[in-house]
Amino acid sequence: MQKEPTTLSFDALVIGGGIAGGEAALNLASNGYKVIIIEKRLSLGGKMIMLSKVFPTLDCSACITTPKVSEISRHPNITIFTESDLTSVEKRGEHDFVAKVTRRPRYVVAEDCTACQLCEEACPVIVKDQFQYNLVGRKAAYIPFSIASPKVAAIDIENCTLCGACEKVCPPGCIDFTQEPRDYVITAKTAIVATGFKLYDPSNVPRYNYGEAKNVITSMQMERLLAPTRPFHTILRSSDGKVPDKIAYVLCAGSRDDSLGNPICSQICCMYSIKQAQLLMGALPMADITIYYIDIRAYGKGYEEFYEQAAGMGVRFVKGKIGRISEKENGNLTLRYEDLASGKLKEADHDLVVLSVGVKPNSEPAGLFTTHKLELDSLQFVKQSDPLLSPAKTTIEGVFVAGTATGPKDIPDSILSAGSASTEAICYLNQ
Amino acid sequence: MKKKLGIYICACGGNISDYVDIEKVKDSIKDEDCVILAKTTMFACGDSNQNDMDTDIKENNLSGIVVASCSPKLHLSTFRAVSERAGLNKYNYVHANIREQASWAHSDDKTGATEKAILLVKAAIAKARLAESLEPIVIESKRSVAVIGGGVAGLKAAISLSRMQDEVFLIERDSRVGGKLHELDTISPEQLTGKELLNILEEDIKNEKNITLMTNSEVVGYSGNIGDFKLKVNISGSQGQSQKDINVGSILVATGFNSYTPADGEFGYNQIKNVITLPQFRKLLRNSNEKLIYNDKKIGSIAYIYCVGSRQAKGDNKYCSRYCCTAAVQASLDVKHKYPEIQNYHFTKGVRTYGKQELIYKESNRVGDIYIQFLDKKPPVVTEYDGAISIKAGDLLSEKKEIEAIADLVVLITGMVPDKDTSLGSLFKLPKGRDKFFNEIHMKLRPVETVIDGITIAGTCQGPKNVMESVNSAMSAAAKSHSFVSKGELELEPIIAYVDKSSCNWCNACSEACPFNAVSMIDDGGKSVATINTSTCKGCGMCLPVCPSDSIELISFTNKEMESMIDVLAK
Amino acid sequence: MNKRSAKILVFSTEKISDPAIDMAGLLKLHYPPQVYTIAIRCSSGIKPKWIMRAFEKGFDGVFIAADGSDCSFGESCIEKTGSIVERTHIMMKEKGLEPARLRMAAICSVCSESFVKQIKSFNELLIKPEN
Repeated sequence: MQKEPTTLSFDALVIGGGIAGGEAALNLASNGYKVIIIEKRLSLGGKMIMLSKVFPTLDCSACITTPKVSEISRHPNITIFTESDLTSVEKRGEHDFVAKVTRRPRYVVAEDCTACQLCEEACPVIVKDQFQYNLVGRKAAYIPFSIASPKVAAIDIENCTLCGACEKVCPPGCIDFTQEPRDYVITAKTAIVATGFKLYDPSNVPRYNYGEAKNVITSMQMERLLAPTRPFHTILRSSDGKVPDKIAYVLCAGSRDDSLGNPICSQICCMYSIKQAQLLMGALPMADITIYYIDIRAYGKGYEEFYEQAAGMGVRFVKGKIGRISEKENGNLTLRYEDLASGKLKEADHDLVVLSVGVKPNSEPAGLFTTHKLELDSLQFVKQSDPLLSPAKTTIEGVFVAGTATGPKDIPDSILSAGSASTEAICYLNQ
Repeated sequence: MKKKLGIYICACGGNISDYVDIEKVKDSIKDEDCVILAKTTMFACGDSNQNDMDTDIKENNLSGIVVASCSPKLHLSTFRAVSERAGLNKYNYVHANIREQASWAHSDDKTGATEKAILLVKAAIAKARLAESLEPIVIESKRSVAVIGGGVAGLKAAISLSRMQDEVFLIERDSRVGGKLHELDTISPEQLTGKELLNILEEDIKNEKNITLMTNSEVVGYSGNIGDFKLKVNISGSQGQSQKDINVGSILVATGFNSYTPADGEFGYNQIKNVITLPQFRKLLRNSNEKLIYNDKKIGSIAYIYCVGSRQAKGDNKYCSRYCCTAAVQASLDVKHKYPEIQNYHFTKGVRTYGKQELIYKESNRVGDIYIQFLDKKPPVVTEYDGAISIKAGDLLSEKKEIEAIADLVVLITGMVPDKDTSLGSLFKLPKGRDKFFNEIHMKLRPVETVIDGITIAGTCQGPKNVMESVNSAMSAAAKSHSFVSKGELELEPIIAYVDKSSCNWCNACSEACPFNAVSMIDDGGKSVATINTSTCKGCGMCLPVCPSDSIELISFTNKEMESMIDVLAK
Repeated sequence: MNKRSAKILVFSTEKISDPAIDMAGLLKLHYPPQVYTIAIRCSSGIKPKWIMRAFEKGFDGVFIAADGSDCSFGESCIEKTGSIVERTHIMMKEKGLEPARLRMAAICSVCSESFVKQIKSFNELLIKPEN
């Protein structure tokens, strides 16, 4: 049992190891500052590492994320804590922050694990794989996903039966059920909040029938179906293995809707849906793809051209508001919608419906700061104290914010906001 | 000593392997001379493959590496770094581009793509056999940055750089800083005006000791390299013109945009009275008091026509100007605030108030503005009508019927176009994108860097952005420029020319061809020969083809290397 | 010559024309796969003997994707690349090679469509029976 927490000192504390936190950390580290990244999950890379390809270039997401993540994890000035909870941050004065962090045990000695996956094979417990957005199962002894960083096994202790099968097969014998949570006290001179966003949970909207109708999936599940590290090696309905040929996209699922408590536009859904539609046209050339939209927001560099390209490839765009999605006996779906061009209520049959779910705020960081108030805005995103001239400033001096913690952003904007946060942090450190 | 090469062929998660048979590529090259290891991999750039490469290099004592994957612009540096970490000089690494130049370019011909990939990998192997270890040229870097353009992006970049302790030259061609901030009224989400923002920034600039502000100044000359750029700046003052030379380690370009100017007759512009552009309208609004009057007419209704100069169905500007939907909605809300009785009609191509900007669109709907989405096939037609203006358009929302609005004033929501003064871009040779704005190297990997090492771009010279986005990009560019100058020294690629003294019979041709004065004559044991100044040579190779005795070679592009690649590709 | 596609060697430049050729791939603007690219630093640094070597070893055509006025090494690039082509044309005539088998065009960093158009028309020319 650990008695005293270990104390570590850094120049900058980065909260969140997604693409924004990682970029901010790299910027600081490459200018000579010592940085620690605290990541809640088992791997760096946030949501981006889970994506298939990225708009508007169709570069594979992994091709951009994994080398970045690799650079982050190898940088001599960066320390990474994955599977760790930040419990509090205290500001004792300027350039003087104290954070309490608990590292949860992986039950695997990370340094010795070779990611051979023998433990995974041996484990008899099968549970839903959260990294594949529950499309498939995984074991209780598992590697989070093939491009995870660190690529090290972990034991899901909540589901583990302690049968010991993994211990027996592990060649370096690195499975260790005696590991316990370890507490750390971390001091830093500045902090960057890069805690990202949450995906909208469409089961809040009964008319979408998500969770009931088997072939209504979220866009993140479709990302996994399309990703190079995908669970199946083709696009299919996970309910019955049928290859879909009439796919619908429902845009603004959980966005731009006061009645759902989310009045704003999520900024990324139009574009990622258009991207997925293009990828589906490539994978399933015979499939019909219809995108039901309110407005197409193709606003960024090269986005309008990308939208035109999708329309040119034959993706159907229907301006319509979606009513109820009902399931037929064969698993196909009937989609009721108001066709905004005619004002009429219409119905259409599809064999797969993808809900383009939006961005929800992650308000957790507000609760972390104990001595000063990290304010949230009216939408529960981290508040920018000077959004026009210092977009990365928060209501606490010396605490900066990067990425989607302040609101929806696409990847290029998240990366630029991370650059902005790191510049603010360096300026603050130079004060 | 014979080279020991390791070859990695990347599937790129299907981007390559869907069109190129990578197993076949591997089988075709594994028995090539010097190849002792050949592998395929899902993601060559992934962490686990990087680890494998590291182990392979050490265990097999490899002296050269080839990765066949995407364009070298993406990951050449990634794999050079892997080689270096494994103790191999990074110039023993050779890259083969089998994605952009094989699998994607020939996705219509899988056999052809595979055969091409095989030859490209073989050519890379041929080059790797001859590659030599090189040491980078280390130069001193000036701890100073030139920021060109004094709009919101340039001002923020200059302030940030100064606060990071870099010396800054802020160069503005106008007589005052502020750029387009002078023209902006309310800017969401803060409800501050451009003027108010500018006041804050000017106050900040005054307090920064590291900034030299140069107004009425234009960069007219440019030479040097990252770490040591030399700029000639023309300054026009009351006593006439003067010239100043400055020396900086990095250049940050933030030259902004122009508002699109409609052609005569475009939606009635310059032909029908009371048809004005958004910047003209903002000025009118700013200078109006109790009543909104234009051309002696009291304005009771306003029609806004969106996407003028952007998203053109017929013109060259295909891109969306990004900021204008929100700017137009905000301007119309400003109207409503000041003159609640005015009715606003918005003719749009679909409103793009993305993200939180949606809130002001909601507000606009709440206060009773009318939105009409027109079709590309039936764009608005603007005509004079009984002392007012008629706007007719096909409406997407009423079964494509024609809708007509009568308004006292028509505001053309003009988008952003690149700065019409292209002299700076030509001086630095900054590449432009398809939209004619300056182009970054890679939107996600290197979003503020250009292909010219040491020159970064920020704000709207790179493409349409609102104020917040411009500031984020400016501060990112500042971080990048800072990283170029903060360490005091920089490593440059040792790709330079060298002379074979034995065959050189000084004739001056190379010296005449060199644009950088890097060639001079020396005496070599009684014989005059050419010699290359390693610190001024930029490695362009202009001296190579002019040498009558073929005595000059360029490192890593030698006759041997080039000919061996040509020979392989010709097979 | 009677085949669908000729074998063409392209000299591209690292910072200007090679990115355009990359973008042609990105946009899936197809061109014949018998077109191979070697990227160099600047089009004004190509030795005529390299071009001659390509013909000697079996290439049907050589295409110089020149920097043109975008060259970051200086304005003289246009003239110098032109003179390389001129001198090589003379060498080609001496060897009895049709000068049309060496072609040059300036390809800017986003001129993907123009590159593909140039290559296709060059290919058409090269596969015409009289060549």
